Amino acid sequence: MGVISAIGNSVDENHAALVNGKTGVIKGGGNFPSRYSGILPFGEVLMGTGALKTTLDVTEYGVTRTTLLALHAFKEAIVDAGLTGAQLSSEDTALVGATTVGGMCLTDELYANTHGDADNIEYVRSYDYASVNLFIQNRYNINGVVNTMNTACSSSANAIMYGCRLIKNGLANRVIVGGADALAKFTVNGFNALRILSDEACAPFDQNRKGLNLGEGAAFLVLEKEADVAGKKVYATVSGFGNANDAYHPSSLSPEGDGPYLAMKNALSSASLNPADIDFINAHGTGTENNDEVESRAMLKVFSTQPNFASTKGFTGHTLGAASAIEAVYSILNIYRQELYPNLNFRQPIAGIGLQPVEAYKSAEIKHVMSNSFGFGGNCTSLIFSKV
Amino acid sequence: MMTFYINKAACISPQQTFGEIDIEQLRASVDNKLKAIEPKYPHFTSNALRRMSKSTRMGAGAALPLLADAVQPDGIIIGTQVSGMEENGKFLNQIIEYKEDMLTPGNFVQGTPNTISSQIALVSNNKNYNITHVHRGLAFENAVIDTAMLLNENPQNTYLLGGVDEICANNYILDTLAGWFKKEDCTNRNLYKSNTNGSLSGEGAAMFCVSNNKVNTLAQLKGITTIHSTDVAVVKAHINHFLLESLPQGEKIDLLLSGENGDKRALEYYTSCEQLMDSETPIARFKHLCGEYPTASSFALWLACSFVSGQLTVPEHMIKKPGAALVYKNILIYNTHKTAQHSCMLVSVPE
Repeated sequence: MGVISAIGNSVDENHAALVNGKTGVIKGGGNFPSRYSGILPFGEVLMGTGALKTTLDVTEYGVTRTTLLALHAFKEAIVDAGLTGAQLSSEDTALVGATTVGGMCLTDELYANTHGDADNIEYVRSYDYASVNLFIQNRYNINGVVNTMNTACSSSANAIMYGCRLIKNGLANRVIVGGADALAKFTVNGFNALRILSDEACAPFDQNRKGLNLGEGAAFLVLEKEADVAGKKVYATVSGFGNANDAYHPSSLSPEGDGPYLAMKNALSSASLNPADIDFINAHGTGTENNDEVESRAMLKVFSTQPNFASTKGFTGHTLGAASAIEAVYSILNIYRQELYPNLNFRQPIAGIGLQPVEAYKSAEIKHVMSNSFGFGGNCTSLIFSKV
Repeated sequence: MMTFYINKAACISPQQTFGEIDIEQLRASVDNKLKAIEPKYPHFTSNALRRMSKSTRMGAGAALPLLADAVQPDGIIIGTQVSGMEENGKFLNQIIEYKEDMLTPGNFVQGTPNTISSQIALVSNNKNYNITHVHRGLAFENAVIDTAMLLNENPQNTYLLGGVDEICANNYILDTLAGWFKKEDCTNRNLYKSNTNGSLSGEGAAMFCVSNNKVNTLAQLKGITTIHSTDVAVVKAHINHFLLESLPQGEKIDLLLSGENGDKRALEYYTSCEQLMDSETPIARFKHLCGEYPTASSFALWLACSFVSGQLTVPEHMIKKPGAALVYKNILIYNTHKTAQHSCMLVSVPE
């Protein structure tokens, strides 16, 4: 596993912050130019784009911050898994990544390019979503299936699911799956125009929540099929996944939460588990009025006894296309370390619902963790990770 | 395993491919672009249409008639690269022009590429699997692979598969700057005589209802492969391997449907694929009909379905090398996007 986020540049650093309840959401990091830098809180990776290039030894032309974050996490993951160069370039190794910003973190440069500034064309080749994974593919000479997915905020959950299915269907023996997104004027202004950015640290599942904080980061995970893992470090298994569409509204969930409900149901049935088997839910929990209420109602519909749950968005902010991959790492840490991390900034349960997330770090016996992700276009995905 | 039956297909393109189909008459490009002919969209009010991007209109417009008298598909799988980019471009312009203040979110929400698949789900009240692949020139191919895996996992199901892209102002400028569209005037009639870099810009939406059911079916996809390389020899060897693996013993390719696009840098890849055919194999080209776009292979798949099912004959203007065959049992589609991403699909008479 590899991860970079507002709470650290490695799995170990992220883990330490989760244990200590130390948030990465701050006002004014300043790695992206926006009038909202310093005014609104963000989950920024506190390493500048130049520093990332140096650390990663990237000297090529036109590499975006999204790609650099992806590369950072990718590198940690393949080192952790001990993948060799030969394994990486073997035809049975696939790469599936997600992003919702891609090269559009370069708002101003893109604008200049498309409004006649042909002298500054460094980024014309990297404006799209695929540019992130194509860069990684070229750098590591990956020859198996390579794919990029964008279903908004559930993108990297779908990348993980697609990776599992490539293995299941015999199209790959190992898959590197994940997602990356950089903070960008593009998304900050998009969510601000939707009036769902909070001017305070987000408070998922709290009665008085004011909206979400955006964050940035990346995470990648190396998946291998069961037959190939003897003698290797294994963190957990992906035991189930489900995707469903809410079919209600382009940017908000239905009051009934059909999409979230079906995604959780489908994941349970794909894992052949009962609701009572789930020990913990890493909730989508963005801190918006709409999401947290609908997600709560959907959880109550699926689970007759509500399992422990928490959102980690209070640590990292909402990292969009990276969120599900980062939270997959956290869910796996729940299992691997047998512990739960707090849902930050929670004070009062939502009226009429009354659900109370995990509020403090604690050890716990954890066998199965569900991780939820819901995106624009009603795209809902639940993953289930299990103890080996 | 990478095989399924295509039961129904629909295509909105720069040619007359939707409703009254006539591909004999070639519609000309204008200003180096081949813009899709948009039909009336009976499923949407004019207000709804104004809010939708062209990709969403074309995608939903091609898909919804296919779903009209069918059972609800068990999933909607779309490949697209640039859909939503026009909306994103408008939003980026808002950000700069209004200095990040008082923006309207409509363009931002419509700009996410899964708007097509979610709009189809919304209108048809489909709560099943809903996915959007955006891997540039292999976005549609990944959608095909996803669908083939789904049918392997759930053999009784049916799925809606599609490829959609639109000509978007910003992308057209960026890709022209990067040398992928011709800078000099060129028409689609003269596309293959051109000896310069770049192609003509195109767009379209092709939708397919697919399943393992071979009754009343148009065509069978017998195989698909993707190749990532700029090395002509590597690409050629990979195509050869694909043919050996997916073409049944004793059968041959009856038509090569080539993605040749008038870009002199891409020609050597197409030529090397042609060299793998025997001397009798007819060759037809399709990019002068649809233009170059990342999911143009979905237009080629629609054509191949129409040819193997006998619904259409190959028009004279498509033929690069004639052959004697009147019936096409096996059609090979070979396409490359920007010479680094390549794919092959084998489309056959259902058996």
